[in-house]
Amino acid sequence: MITEYSHYLEPTMVYIPITDEDYRIANVVVASGDTVKIGQVLAHKFKGKNKLPVVATVSGKVVEIVEKMDRFGKIVDHVVIENDGASTMVELPSLKDDVTTAEVRKAIETVGLHKVDVDGLFTTLNFDEPIKHVVVSTVFANEPFTSTNYEYLLNNAADIVDGAALLAKAAATSDVTIIADKSMPSEVVDELGKEIVNHDIEEPTFVDTKKVKGWDYKVMQGLVKEQLSINVLDNGILYVHANTCKMVSDVVRRGLPVVSRNVAFTGDGLHKNLVLDVRVGTLLSDVVKELGGYVANQELNLHIGNYLTGVQVPSDDFAITESVDAIHISVYDEVEEDVCIKCGECNDVCPAGILPQNIMDAELRAVGERIFDLHTDECVECGLCTYVCPSKINVLEWVRRAKRRVG
Amino acid sequence: MEFTMKKPPIVQNSESSLKRSFNLHIALIIVSVGAILLKAFTAVPEDATYTALDQAFKVFLMLAIGVGVSMIIELFYALSEGSTKKFESYEGFVDPINSGLLIALLLPTITPIYVLVLATVVGVYVGKLVFGGYGYYIFNPALVGVLFANVSFGSRLYVAGTPLELLKQSMSGSTYTFDNVLELFIGNYEAIAVGSTAAILLIFVMIYLMVTKVIDYRTVLAYLLTVGVISFIIGWVNGFLIDYFIVNMISGFTLFGAAFLVAEPVSSPTSRETKYIYAVVIGVMMMLVRVLGNEAEGLVFAVLLGNMITPFLNRTVKRSNKKGLIKTISICSVAVLLMGFVLGFLLQDRLIEAFASIGGII
Repeated sequence: MITEYSHYLEPTMVYIPITDEDYRIANVVVASGDTVKIGQVLAHKFKGKNKLPVVATVSGKVVEIVEKMDRFGKIVDHVVIENDGASTMVELPSLKDDVTTAEVRKAIETVGLHKVDVDGLFTTLNFDEPIKHVVVSTVFANEPFTSTNYEYLLNNAADIVDGAALLAKAAATSDVTIIADKSMPSEVVDELGKEIVNHDIEEPTFVDTKKVKGWDYKVMQGLVKEQLSINVLDNGILYVHANTCKMVSDVVRRGLPVVSRNVAFTGDGLHKNLVLDVRVGTLLSDVVKELGGYVANQELNLHIGNYLTGVQVPSDDFAITESVDAIHISVYDEVEEDVCIKCGECNDVCPAGILPQNIMDAELRAVGERIFDLHTDECVECGLCTYVCPSKINVLEWVRRAKRRVG
Repeated sequence: MEFTMKKPPIVQNSESSLKRSFNLHIALIIVSVGAILLKAFTAVPEDATYTALDQAFKVFLMLAIGVGVSMIIELFYALSEGSTKKFESYEGFVDPINSGLLIALLLPTITPIYVLVLATVVGVYVGKLVFGGYGYYIFNPALVGVLFANVSFGSRLYVAGTPLELLKQSMSGSTYTFDNVLELFIGNYEAIAVGSTAAILLIFVMIYLMVTKVIDYRTVLAYLLTVGVISFIIGWVNGFLIDYFIVNMISGFTLFGAAFLVAEPVSSPTSRETKYIYAVVIGVMMMLVRVLGNEAEGLVFAVLLGNMITPFLNRTVKRSNKKGLIKTISICSVAVLLMGFVLGFLLQDRLIEAFASIGGII
């Protein structure tokens, strides 16, 4: 459990990636030497006909456009801005009280808010497909254990619930489910409850986060009563985190673009563990320098995101974007895999009800037909099979390979 | 700074296969010590030329030789493969010792030593190492060895007057009553295996293994329930309810099998539904052999048959859900009840009579 909070909001340089996994083509509209304000459009990125702006997160001078690794490990173009510290902002409209679906969607689109939650079952803010349910998780699962930043929830309860209501408005639905932690302190529950009553949303669903067993999957399956797809947008669910709701509320109600992000820094590779409010676009290497550097003379592992479903990257020379919720830097610890003893615990724990052990077996024997038979496509890559394995086998990796085999 | 891209730091829970092997190891050692102590205090026949301490030493010798032979074979195999690294620490020896102890515990006190050695060689080499060692075998190695010994040296391993055999004889005329149920629980009698008698100890060990997740509680309970229900019905149909039920439950290999053989993870199926089917098949097969077969004990055949159908069971299941589980459990319960009644009537050649009476009702 992290108890230290701090901020690092004034880096000298920020690096804004102008493309991402979905939006692969971009058209830069600024040139080197231009002066930009916070919220000013730097580029437009495209996915087919869809167009989304990329906005500046600091005010200052555009230095250059460079190729750099992003937080997924891909090499993409970044716009480099030198921070002048003045924080001058572009005027964005702020909407009060009654808003329409179109207004909320437009406000979210103006600041390019699209991909915030990337781990697990979380979805992008995409309103192209019809959405029936909006699910908001207030549980943070971003460390090697599930832990919730209750202070953040307590201070921002109004904005979070308002953001959830705004998202429901944007999705043209009234069904909002808030997932809360059973062990949540009563004052946080009271604060959230007050806002929930104000916005006329249903009671939150409480889950037991002490046990790691795919509770968000169960909650969402209870809502739609069908097998979930790996992208729950296909099931008509928009699943976002409380942080995203706060961002949406800021954008719509106050006209503030997303300029900073709470990031949990964990692991024994750092001298101290804390939650840091970081300016979007800051290089991780700069942040770590500020935090006092790495533990010396050790082989280190860098992992971004949720402890079961995050990504591993080879270098710290990347910009922290709004989709980075946790960074885990640990000393590399070689755990030897034992042979599979066929205990069947992965089969018991799988929230989708498929049989990871049998899929792994089929993949080892390279029987494509059997992999297809075992409903491998229903895997949502939650990583619970790897979590429970007593032989420390990375079962999820085998299931992923099986998926790749059958396409 | 550059970071390693080897294994990602995925968090896993504190369970470990090695810990489970150690737990099984501890359980087997407890049972072995129990078997030696029990033999030291078991009364010997008055006309015998040996004392109780001789018997206890024989059991100790059997256990030691089983372990020694098993370890030597594994070492030679590792040498031939050029992979002796795992034997540098005690961890590498846990599994060979477990196999050796299991084979020794599954043979009677009168076993000639050369039979034990041969059984261990066959069990460990043919049953385990041929398939690739721990984690890869399809038949329970200990049972392969014991089956080999029973088939090849049956007359040398024959123990007369075990409770199950007396029970079987009592079915065909001669009378047998159990004057001392407590003795059965403690294990103070001559049995077909040195390790299978102390019922109380075995129940304790079984619970320990279930709690530490070495064996799957669903398989064990389904198996015990199957044996219990079938023997209960047979006893009820034939009019000696309590005796038949108790003797079948606590003597023979029933409890030993529940603790060490039936739910052995490597050779049993992997999903919920198949685990139930597997346990029921073993329970039913065991009772079939006990009631109809030549042998008094049928667990060895039953478990090996269960191992044999495990790949097939694994292949039949495509996904696990609540509906399938309920369906499996209900079909299994009906099968067990039906089997109990059929065996019960068959035992007294009253099956046709029973069918006739059902026909009469209809």
